[in-house]
Amino acid sequence: MGKFLIRRLLQIIPVLFIISFVVFCLVFVAGDPVALMLPEDASPEDIEQLRESLGLNEPFHVQYFTYMLGLVQLDFGDSFRYNQSALPIVLERLPATLELAAASMIVAIIIAIPLGIWSATKKNSPLDFLATGGAVLWKAMPNFWLGIMLILLFSVTLGWFPVSGRGSFSHLILPAITLGTGIAAEMTRLIRSSMLEILNQDYIRTAKSKGIRNFYVVNKHAFRNALIPVVTITALQTSTLVGGTLVTETVFSWPGLGQLLIQAVNTRDMAIVQASVFIIAFVVILMNLIADILYKILDPRIKY
Amino acid sequence: MSVNSQLQNQNQTVTSPVKQTPSTFVRWLRLLLKSKTGTFGFIIVLAVILVAIFASSLAPYDPNMINPAAMLKPPFWLEGGSMEHILGTDNLGRDILSRIIYGSQVSLAVGLSAVALAGIIGVFVGLVAGYYGGFIDNLLMRLVDSFLAIPTILFALVILSIFGPSVTTLIVVLGITNWVQYARLVRGEVLSIKEREFVKAAKSIGVRDNKIILKHLLPNVVSPFIVISTLSVATTIILEASLSFLGLGIQPPTISWGGILSDGRDYIATSWWLATFPGLAITITVLAIIFLGDWLRDVLDPRS
Amino acid sequence: MKRKAFWSIFLFVFSAILLVGCSGGTSSSTTEPANTDQKGTDSGTSETKSEVDRTLTVAVGSDMVSFDIHNHNNTSTEAIHVNMFNYLFKKDANGEIQNELVEEYKIIDDLTVEMKLVEGVTFHNGDPLTSEDVKFTLERVATDDTLKEYPNYKQIKEVQVIDDLNFRVVTHAPEPSLFHRLSRLGSGILPKKYIEENGWDNFLANPVGTGPYQFKEWVRDDHITLVPFDNFYQGKVEEWDEVVFRVIPENSTRVSELLTGGVDIAVNIPPADWDRVNSNEGTSVVQEISNRVIMLILRSTEGLPTADPRVRQALDYAIDDGVLANTVLRGGGVPTLTMVGPGNFGHNPDLYDTYNYDVEKAKALLAEAGYADGFEITLQSPRGRYLQDAEVAEMIAGMLAAINVKVNVEFLEWSNFVEMRNANENKEAYLLGLGNSMFDGAYSVDWYRAERYKGHTDYKNDKIEELLNASASNMDQAEREKQIQEISAIAAEDVPFVTLYQEKINIGVSDSIDFDPTPDEMIYAPSIKRK
Repeated sequence: MGKFLIRRLLQIIPVLFIISFVVFCLVFVAGDPVALMLPEDASPEDIEQLRESLGLNEPFHVQYFTYMLGLVQLDFGDSFRYNQSALPIVLERLPATLELAAASMIVAIIIAIPLGIWSATKKNSPLDFLATGGAVLWKAMPNFWLGIMLILLFSVTLGWFPVSGRGSFSHLILPAITLGTGIAAEMTRLIRSSMLEILNQDYIRTAKSKGIRNFYVVNKHAFRNALIPVVTITALQTSTLVGGTLVTETVFSWPGLGQLLIQAVNTRDMAIVQASVFIIAFVVILMNLIADILYKILDPRIKY
Repeated sequence: MSVNSQLQNQNQTVTSPVKQTPSTFVRWLRLLLKSKTGTFGFIIVLAVILVAIFASSLAPYDPNMINPAAMLKPPFWLEGGSMEHILGTDNLGRDILSRIIYGSQVSLAVGLSAVALAGIIGVFVGLVAGYYGGFIDNLLMRLVDSFLAIPTILFALVILSIFGPSVTTLIVVLGITNWVQYARLVRGEVLSIKEREFVKAAKSIGVRDNKIILKHLLPNVVSPFIVISTLSVATTIILEASLSFLGLGIQPPTISWGGILSDGRDYIATSWWLATFPGLAITITVLAIIFLGDWLRDVLDPRS
Repeated sequence: MKRKAFWSIFLFVFSAILLVGCSGGTSSSTTEPANTDQKGTDSGTSETKSEVDRTLTVAVGSDMVSFDIHNHNNTSTEAIHVNMFNYLFKKDANGEIQNELVEEYKIIDDLTVEMKLVEGVTFHNGDPLTSEDVKFTLERVATDDTLKEYPNYKQIKEVQVIDDLNFRVVTHAPEPSLFHRLSRLGSGILPKKYIEENGWDNFLANPVGTGPYQFKEWVRDDHITLVPFDNFYQGKVEEWDEVVFRVIPENSTRVSELLTGGVDIAVNIPPADWDRVNSNEGTSVVQEISNRVIMLILRSTEGLPTADPRVRQALDYAIDDGVLANTVLRGGGVPTLTMVGPGNFGHNPDLYDTYNYDVEKAKALLAEAGYADGFEITLQSPRGRYLQDAEVAEMIAGMLAAINVKVNVEFLEWSNFVEMRNANENKEAYLLGLGNSMFDGAYSVDWYRAERYKGHTDYKNDKIEELLNASASNMDQAEREKQIQEISAIAAEDVPFVTLYQEKINIGVSDSIDFDPTPDEMIYAPSIKRK
């Protein structure tokens, strides 16, 4: 297990390098941010002057070398917009996004796992239909539409929750529900289908036919085996979850990494884009690592 | 009876079938009609496809025709509405029904193409990685990790803002970002199944590698594949809506449901029909696709 | 086994919470948006809030960029800065330039102005304001070419200190717009001693100015909080105990906050919500013209239909600015024929609040130019950058179709739009909103200068060139004003660009507050009063 862990950790490094290279290339191709920094009435000379002074006229390999040098020291350069080192700005915003993501994940798990398993065991019953239909309906609703609707209903009309911003626990509820239920919908269905497969397998049927009570069968045999796909599914959702924060944070003015990123992309703030993508990638990779460890614990048949 | 006729009787009893085999088409039709949700799904999906194909004959107006005299007209059953614009008009006087009819073309095309692209790549990678294991598996999984670490919407955001949001770019981006979930899930299934007795048994009697894959693994993988695919088409359609929200979705004059929905978001509180009807179109279509997918999975499951 | 399973899941979730737990706690405790907490539990009205606490909460659409006053070039950032820093000169409510930190001044010659500072001004940290601070500030922005404001101040050669209160500002060449420069965005005076002793990074984290409010905290993309400065030289501002700027980019969310009383003022209310805000008990929409003119930048390049002035005039006559301003923008714009708006030096009142619309005349002009059968052009436009920009672009396409001009509307995301412009890849027409941070018409009409926009608009008008050159260094303000007005008049005839309308700013305000927006879009807390 120890060897396995070390190997996995070492594998993370090349992945991060691949990602940083890809992002660098993309942003390099993206074109220059200078024009965006000056107002519309700036003259072409002014633009050229600023570009020159920011070192943006250097050829690709020079810029890449400078970038990589900084990367190794965890220095992503300075943000054009904020004129400060990029990484601290990104890290400053990370906790807010993690808070939202964690809360949403909790909401999702609480809804999806019981609902998914239950509707699988009661297949084709009215409950199953309701759960499946409901999950799909919910999944089909775009994030931002749901968020705006929730604000209109619970904040403006009923006044139960604050509209936006971050602060007390009640600020977290609407955004977490918006993001969490969307993820829950997808998870419910995947868990249900995994459960169904397992319940249909021979050894389960054998157990059932032997007369062992359904409840016992489900909980002991099926559940444990269902856990592997459940773990995969949950881990896979991390990426979607973080992606979902982009839109959710915008609707609720949640001061997290998502909002920062969107602005950075719009203004071609290279340093922030890279630092953000890097940090997000790191978090997601960490989650996947934990998922892999769980695989190992749960299914000793899988050899690494 | 003579010996000959006795023998003849025997032959007849052994060789002639008990009853007539129905043709494949009728067999499938019966299976379909058995499932209420499946039928519902199939009909709706067929309807949407037909609408997309015959859009120009079905739409009452040119979807891009601006009409300052008829701005923000409500649907016909509300005060101020009329049968001239059944679902009302938007802020530029364009007929909502016509826009939704035309929007089906792009939304479906993008959804289906992206998923097809993603599926082909993903399943192939997953099978190869899972079956061969070792170094190949490692390499491919590093690649998977890299893609997984960057949330879809983020990747799409960056690419689209650089290369411009055209329909082709969107399909390619969505295809490239979606393959990962297929690969990972398929690989997971493959790893589990690989260790099972019947595969080992098959190998031990000398059945060749790819035969094993095709015969034993593929059928077991088809089921989760279909579930993921159907959800993917759904996610893709919704992702397009989120990208429109962020300004990087399908650009006018091309019409997509996500675009119409996003256009209407400033009017949710006042002229709700601008956003609600495209939202409904998305929801119902997605619901249908998933029901259809469910039915297909149930039918194709080799063990049920 | 079941246990193992549960533990596995909890390990998973626990690690997520752990990541949050370390930092989540501290962040939530430092954030204290007083009002939103209250509003969370009771659906109170705005009256309750202003009586209970004297906090002014303003919802803005984007976060402040930085405290480096010379490196943001952003109106919404300046709207906050203006509460913390003072300029040498400032525009009053009527747009007239008045003294602020300067007590009196004397024009020595075409290149030199001698000024005397108001006595007794101190910075938030107690240091007195002296000529050294002025020298430090102005010379920094006039010589550091990496600063975004550099192009606007590089005309200043140096500041000569005479004594603590007296100094001279010297320019490289005669600079008729000097006072406009010193009263525009980015003209705050910085504390030399504080910055030199503690460094720039410290200043950016803990800024210090001479203004009526001082910095308390900034939680990025969430809020900025300011508190009154007791020793403000014009006397401490009693009205507000705290001024909070909350960052809420999403329109509907910002409006919702205003409606629920979560904020007192919300900027940029979209036209779709005006009725809602006005009919809501306790809020209303206040409008004021901004300094931005929306127009179509046309190409006068040889070979294109728009090279012919008659064609350009035809486009002007075919577009109904009235419908655009009154119907599409619902009154959120004032039709205009000039780039130089009211409040700007050189404004020509004859060309404002009026427009050309005559479809028959437009068709006649096209026929005269030889395009009776019409032609095809591309109109490039951003989306969501300006109020209803996409709708305006599409409406224009519809209007031009009436005179047989087929318009292909091409929407570009803002950064791509900017790139397109800078690469001179603009087509026959594109939609643009031009502001003028100098409030001096000379800077708007410079767009007609042939050399500057060669390859971009390729427009050349000899008479305008002559007037541009004459006015650039004309220190006779009365004469200069006439010259700029004349340029606008010629442009209205020759139509290098089709000026559509002057945009209005639309701010949602709680009924318990008196707020009079100004065209410079500044949010100056001392002038906002409780009713």
